[in-house]
Parts: sequence; C-alpha cells; structure tokens
Amino acid sequence: MTSKPLITIQNLAKTYKGSNEPAVDNIDMTVEHGEVFGLLGPNGAGKTTTISILCNLIQPSSGSVKINNLGYSRHAREIKSLMGVVSQDIALFPTLTARENLQYFAGLYGLPGKTAKNRIEEALKRLDLWEKRNTAIKKYSGGMKRRINLLAGILHKPKLLFLDEPTVGIDVQSRRMIFEYLRELNQKGTTIFYTSHLLEEAEKLCSRVSVIDKGRIILNGSPSALIRSTEGSKSLEDVFIRVTGKKVRD
Amino acid sequence: MQKFFTSIRKEILVLLRDREGLALMFIMPLILVVLITVLQHKTYQNITEQQIPIVLINNDNDSLGNSFQQVMEQNRVFALTVVNEADSIAVLNAKNQVANGDFQMGIYIPEGATNAIKNRVINTIQKQMPESIRNSNPEKDSIVNIALFFDPVTKESFRNVIKGSLREFASRLESRIIFLTYSRVFDALTNQNTDLQMPDHPTIVFEESFVSAYKDGMAPNAVQHNVPAWTLFAMFFIALPIAGNIIKERNEGCTDRIRTIPVSPLLIMSSKAMVFIFVCLLQTLMIFLTGIYVMPLLDLPQLMPGHSIAGLLLIIFASAMAATGFGIAIGTISGSVVQASTFGSVSVVILAALGGVWIPAYLMSGIMRKMSALSPMNWGIEGFYEVFLRNGSAADVLPHAMKLIAFFVAMILISWKYRRRKTI
Repeated sequence: MTSKPLITIQNLAKTYKGSNEPAVDNIDMTVEHGEVFGLLGPNGAGKTTTISILCNLIQPSSGSVKINNLGYSRHAREIKSLMGVVSQDIALFPTLTARENLQYFAGLYGLPGKTAKNRIEEALKRLDLWEKRNTAIKKYSGGMKRRINLLAGILHKPKLLFLDEPTVGIDVQSRRMIFEYLRELNQKGTTIFYTSHLLEEAEKLCSRVSVIDKGRIILNGSPSALIRSTEGSKSLEDVFIRVTGKKVRD
Repeated sequence: MQKFFTSIRKEILVLLRDREGLALMFIMPLILVVLITVLQHKTYQNITEQQIPIVLINNDNDSLGNSFQQVMEQNRVFALTVVNEADSIAVLNAKNQVANGDFQMGIYIPEGATNAIKNRVINTIQKQMPESIRNSNPEKDSIVNIALFFDPVTKESFRNVIKGSLREFASRLESRIIFLTYSRVFDALTNQNTDLQMPDHPTIVFEESFVSAYKDGMAPNAVQHNVPAWTLFAMFFIALPIAGNIIKERNEGCTDRIRTIPVSPLLIMSSKAMVFIFVCLLQTLMIFLTGIYVMPLLDLPQLMPGHSIAGLLLIIFASAMAATGFGIAIGTISGSVVQASTFGSVSVVILAALGGVWIPAYLMSGIMRKMSALSPMNWGIEGFYEVFLRNGSAADVLPHAMKLIAFFVAMILISWKYRRRKTI
C-alpha cells in the first residue's frame, strides 16, 4: 500500500476580485512526504498565490487543497500545527531581540517553557547567532535576519515547511548556512515546499520542481531529469528560459 | 492561557521599546490636560466665580444712588469701584478706563436723581389732591439721565441685567415715595400720626437650587470638565499607536505569519486590546492624580473624583475599551500608517468636538446637543459627569458604560468581518 501524498492540490484556481485573468488556473499537484519540492516561475506566474492558498492566507476561487489528507475548512488547526511557514518578508518584531522573537513564536505554537528554551538555544547556536541573542532584530544584518526568520518557522519541528524565497538578498555565507540547515531538517523528515527565483539554488536543494507560468503548471520533474529531457540545456536555468521564454515579466 | 500570556508579554515588550510612542501616550496628554485646563479656567471663572469690574460714579448720594451702590457692593459677582469726583471729569475718566479694559462697565448716577424721582411722584399725586391741601409751589418735573457705558465685549444679557436692576431700584423708590406721600395725606385728612412704614422684607422670595444636572450643587469648573474630557481625548488618541502597531505588524509580515500558526485571531486581538486598555487605565490614573495633586499647585481647583469608586472604574474601563476597539478597527481597515494617522487623528478630533470635549455639550445649541449624543466621547463625558458632578453610583453610570462597551464590540466585529473579507 502506498502512503498518501502530504499535499494534494486538485483543480485549484484563484481569480482576484476585479481581475479577468486567473492568478492560478486549475492546477493539480502533489507533494510527497520527505520531498524538497520547488515551485518555480517568473514574476506574476502564480507562485505566491499558490503558496498563500496552501498556507490558508487566502481562499481559492475553486478546487481543493489537502494537507496530510485534511482540508482547511474543517481541520485548519490540525494542519497549522503540522506546518511551518517562512515568508519572503522578515516577519519578525524589529524592536524585540532574537530570543524574545523566538520565545514569542514558540509560545504561540504552544511549546512548553523549558522545551522552547532548549530549542531556541540549540537553534541559535546552530545558526551562529547565540552571541547576538539579546540584540534587537533591527540591529541585525540581512543574513542574520533571514536566519532568525527561518528559525521562527521551525522551532516547533513542523512536518511540512513552506519557504517563500527564503534567501533573498543575503550573502553567500548566510545562504550556505541556511541551505545546510534545510538539508539537515529534510534528512530528519521535514518535507519542504519551496519557491524561488534563484534557479541554481533550487537545482541544488530540490528533489523535484514544478514550473508555473500564467497560473498553470507547465513542467514537473526532478531537476536532473528536466535538464536531461530539455534539448540543449545544461542547467535548470536553461530549462526555465526554454519553457517560459526570454521576455521580461512585470 | 500560555498563548495568551505569550502574546500579552510580546505586546508589552513592543510597547516598552517604543519610547517615542510611550511619550506620546503619556506625556503629551498630560501637557494637553494641564494646558487646556489653565487656559479654560478663566472662562469657567467668568461663568461661575470671576468678579466683573464696574465703576460707579454716585453723585446722587441719596436713596437711589446709595441703595444701588449698597446692593452692588454686597453682590459677589461685581467688583465695584465708587468714584466721587466732579461730574464731567469723573465720567470722562470712567469712560477711558472702560475703553482701556480696566472696567467692563461704568454707571453714572447724576446729582439729584433721587430728588427728581421724588418730585415727579409728588407732583403726580398732588394733582389728585383737593386744592385745599395741594402744594401751591410745586417743584418742577425733570428727567433723570443715568449714563451707562460698556466695554464692547459685554454681553447684551449682562447690560440688560444692569438696566433692569436700575429700573427696579427706581420703581422701588417710586413705590416707597407714593406710599409715604399717600400715608401723609391720609394722616393730614384724618388728623392722625400713624408713621406707617413700608415693609422692608420682600413678598416674593426666590429659593434657588441645582436640580438634575448638578444635584449636590457642584457646577462643572475647568478641572471637573477638562480632566475627564481630555482624558477621554487621550484615550481615543491611543487609536493612532494601536493602528500604527497593527499596520506595521501587517506590513512586516508578522500578521500573516501568525495566521499560519494554530492560534485564534481573537486571542491575538484580545491580548493587544488588553494591553492598550491597561495603557488607557494608566493614562487616566496619571491624569487624575495630576488633577488631584498638581492642579491645585497651579492655582486651579482640585479635581473632586466623586464618591463612587465602582462607578468611576466602570466608566474608565468602558471608555478604555471603546477607545481601543476604535484603534483596532482603524488599524485593520486602513491600508497604510499615513492613512490611519490622517483618518485616526481627524476622526478623533471630530468625535471630541462633537462629544463636548472642547465645549461641553450642555453649552451647545439644541441640534448640536442631539448630535453630540452620537459621539462615544460624549457617552464617556456623561459617565464621568454622573460620578464627578451628580454624585452618581455605578448604576447611574451603567447606561453610558453599556453604550461604550457596545461600541467596542461593534468595532471588533467590524474588524473581524473586514479581515475575513480580505482573505476571499
């Protein structure tokens, strides 16, 4: 017997109020347990809309989303406790210290005081932020903020982690550190759903990617298989340009 | 409960780290309350206790002039200066002093004013008498010119009061002279000496008391009005930091992150509301303590907080809830901090003006008074008046408090509905 996918998306569509064009146009997709899945696409392709629906931040116009075989309409709480979300924004309180921010999010996830304290200490040390734990976030560098932003979404050890452009605008060292940490999490069993513009990054991290354009999934497979099957392509970027074109998007 | 306390702790930390915001919430209202109270103190004194300076040139030195002078001297409302100089100079000087603002009014009673009244009455009576007892050499009738000169800012009503008082004194004098003259004629005809006197005590006695509005005789002074009124203004001005806080969290992505966490949005909202309600309570305590202990040092009346602690706490708490709800609604609905601060500050000023913060509702015209009842700040002020001026209990305050609590519930429901609509 095969286990059911962790995420199942069926006929998902979203048209925003006042718009004629659908942002997401009847997509079907599954993400298996333990995968690092990448949803790639140019600007305005529908990545953020899709991930927002998956995180229950906006409602779809039609179609269904199941996470761990549960739907948001009846099991929002259970689904939310399974997942962690790391957005493109630095979704932290800038005047609070790193530790205070993490204590807050750990508290909201319901982690008991001692567990939260240990996990925060461990995570801060792992991402080389322990020394700066009592510094306000607003005084952090971009890379440090990104690392704390990631930690705030994973302290409760989620089964499924949504990452929306988690490494935008940071230095190579911080990116490398975040990537190593994500791989570590994946090896420990966390399924990762990842969106990015950075195709080189996706190629290294993802076990499978889907390319979305104009709200539709136009390509799906492992990065190596996609490169192999696309004539004249040496990288995922070549594949991406081949399927989405060279025209600059708004 | 752990999530609730976590959220409360975060709100407190965010608040404590915002020093400018704290100064705005605590120091500015305090300055505002003290400043406005000092400024309005004189106006309230004009209404209630400040004496009106009047110069009286009493050249009559007889019944009319002396009795008028005596009554004016006894009246606490007037600060009377009596001048006894040669007529033309005295009047000219007095006019200059009124023009310079030294006096609000000048009154000149000329020499012989009483005699003129006496002669006119006696001559009139004489005409009714038989020739045998009529005075063969009557005094000539003359008109008394009492000059009144006013500062242009003097109210019409006040001028009428003075003119009315003088007329009353003249009539009283006339009555007395008529009475005495007839009494003497009667004595002459009946050959008696009754020496009948007019009764000194008045037939009509006015018994004055404050009813409904100020049961125990406490009229609102600058402190009793301004302290609660501007406390409410400060409370409602908290809408701006609340809205700013909500919008900043939304723009930073924190709100969306929290929405992906298994925690009720109502818990997040109520913890925020709880902290800001507490801020409002602290603001109130600080302003009230200033009213009780600091304002008397500035030569202002002391704040008398009434006798009902329960009533006072009820109206403070309900007002704090209403103000916080208003801030949450503005923060949820506004698209940006600029929008929230513009709409927030203008709407608070309108609600304050309408609610009677600047000009008490009881001084407003009929239609404005009715419109005033639509402002939550008016419900708050009325609640405070119940305790401060009418010695009301918690039960008296309850209707006003219920309106404020209903306003809070309405604001939270609007915010919740709006937020839900945004996800569709």
